Amino acid sequence: MTAVEIPVEKWSGTVRDVTLGSSYGGGTRTSTVTVGGETALPFLDFEGALPHRPALAVEVVDMEPADWSPELVAVWGDDLKDPAKWAARAVAEGADLIALKLRSCHPDFGDRSATDARATVDRVLAAVGVPLIVYGPGTADKDNDVLVAVAEATKGEQLALGLCEEKNYRTIVAAALGNGHLVIAQTPIDVNLAKQLNILISDMRLPLERVLMDPNTGALGYGLEYTYSVMERLRLAALMGDAMTQQPMICTIGEEAWRQKEGRAATDVPAAWGELAERGVAWEVTTAMTLLEAGADILVLRHPSSVGVLREALDDLMKGA
Amino acid sequence: MLIIGENIHIIAPPVKAAIEARDAKTIQAMALRQVEAGAGIIDLNIGPQKKRGHEVMPWIVEAVQEVTDTPLSLDTTNFAAMEAGLKVCKKPAMLNSASADPARLDSVMQLAAKYGARVIALTMGVDGIPTTADGRAGIAMEALLPAAAAAGLPVQDIFLDPLVLAVNCNQDVALESVEAIRMFKMMADPPPTTVVGLSNISNGAPPENRPLINRTMLVMVMGAGLDSAIADPTDEAQNEFIRIVEQRDESTPMSTLVVALYDAVAAMEELDAAAVDTSDPEQVDFYKTYRMLCNEVIYADSYLRI
Repeated sequence: MTAVEIPVEKWSGTVRDVTLGSSYGGGTRTSTVTVGGETALPFLDFEGALPHRPALAVEVVDMEPADWSPELVAVWGDDLKDPAKWAARAVAEGADLIALKLRSCHPDFGDRSATDARATVDRVLAAVGVPLIVYGPGTADKDNDVLVAVAEATKGEQLALGLCEEKNYRTIVAAALGNGHLVIAQTPIDVNLAKQLNILISDMRLPLERVLMDPNTGALGYGLEYTYSVMERLRLAALMGDAMTQQPMICTIGEEAWRQKEGRAATDVPAAWGELAERGVAWEVTTAMTLLEAGADILVLRHPSSVGVLREALDDLMKGA
Repeated sequence: MLIIGENIHIIAPPVKAAIEARDAKTIQAMALRQVEAGAGIIDLNIGPQKKRGHEVMPWIVEAVQEVTDTPLSLDTTNFAAMEAGLKVCKKPAMLNSASADPARLDSVMQLAAKYGARVIALTMGVDGIPTTADGRAGIAMEALLPAAAAAGLPVQDIFLDPLVLAVNCNQDVALESVEAIRMFKMMADPPPTTVVGLSNISNGAPPENRPLINRTMLVMVMGAGLDSAIADPTDEAQNEFIRIVEQRDESTPMSTLVVALYDAVAAMEELDAAAVDTSDPEQVDFYKTYRMLCNEVIYADSYLRI
């Protein structure tokens, strides 16, 4: 048998290390999460360094979600009613960090105040020791209001604040800058816009070691391949030395996978689709695995079983790295 | 380099208003300004003008001919408007444009032959614009040039246009237009003439960045054998680059770099980074734009800032 020499690619660029959770001191987190640092494509440890394993976040919402898949409602049960309990259970299920959504501050879903939002964030911080991602309600005005208040009240916790988009990045970046937090920069599945937003954020003097990039995720069957291409191109550019694309990437896997029919429909589907519980987790895990291969550094998930499956998969994939 | 002046275009609000009001003075002033700036042909884009094209085109042709005898390019998809314009043109005109749409190609070529007009022939089929240089060359070889020959048009009167795509959406194929120009020039002896709609390359980019993207791209397509461009003839920095390339003016460090890029593209080589004086911001921006057009760094609106 002839020995085959595996070609080895050497890259000149490095993805930035980004750390969430009290690494500068002053916060109350008992653990930190560092992602990034890659000098090779995902899991190709024979080509370069993969110093940090991708992190698994679990999504927690500050109000009981009315529109979630029956499978998620069944598995989380009453924990969905209390973000602090929900977060504590997510950590027990294996979450490296919590992604808290302040949805009840949205004008259409309760319009709760910035003060309420601060109280919720405090309760979740008290319930868990892992780092926190905090998402505003998703409307520019209210995001500015709520995230600024939360950022000020949690100085030192080194949260990741989202979403920082082209239309509101100034306020969010300023809030992060003054209070030692990070931002999640989201652009609509577009390489050029992703790079541009990083440039704009960097122009405001927020160190890029405090920026995560969210390329905007499509689920399996719903645009996943577009996300994959965009992430792959961003990561290749990062490794080739393009300084404005060298941010770790975060993907909101659960939100996308569980809102599709495959993650929701228990009845009136072909028999070949199988049971919802298994199918929904498979949908979330397949979406996640695909984007891990495209360079995802943080996966935001919804189902505890997905956390377990992905943790095992990452154990395997990171062997030797 | 023959510049086909693009400024009289229906998309420009003053032009639209002038055409609607049959305001000859505005159109004439725009035509004269382009002629004075060096335009060799004046493009008259009246849009499709489905209802009144056969009236609008002769009106605008006659208006411009009152102030200049520079040849005119009749830019419309309306066949009747093209013919009505050709009837009143005093000089041999240009038709802008024909594409490889079988329903129209032969008739536009025959119309050009009847009136001794030149034709801008777009390498676009009914399925759109191929992204590769090969695909565009294929359309030129298999459809455009045979149709011109069948109509009896001299090959030099065919202006092959590879259809430059905007770099901010199609960055990975920007160089395909450059290579298409190179292939067009090898298709026949004598070769067809080549043309690009230059400003398409910077469509969607911030206005302050567009001229630099345009003139950098222009040097590259010139290196591949470009003969003419539909462009703004009043862009002085662009005209200066054309002069530098045509006269091979290596009298300043910047002009030397421009000639070096032209030579590199002509030789199918990369521009050597060592040729750039990194202490000169003008050279650095030019080189960044070249690298961006080559898809070596990802385009972002602020690409010059980093």
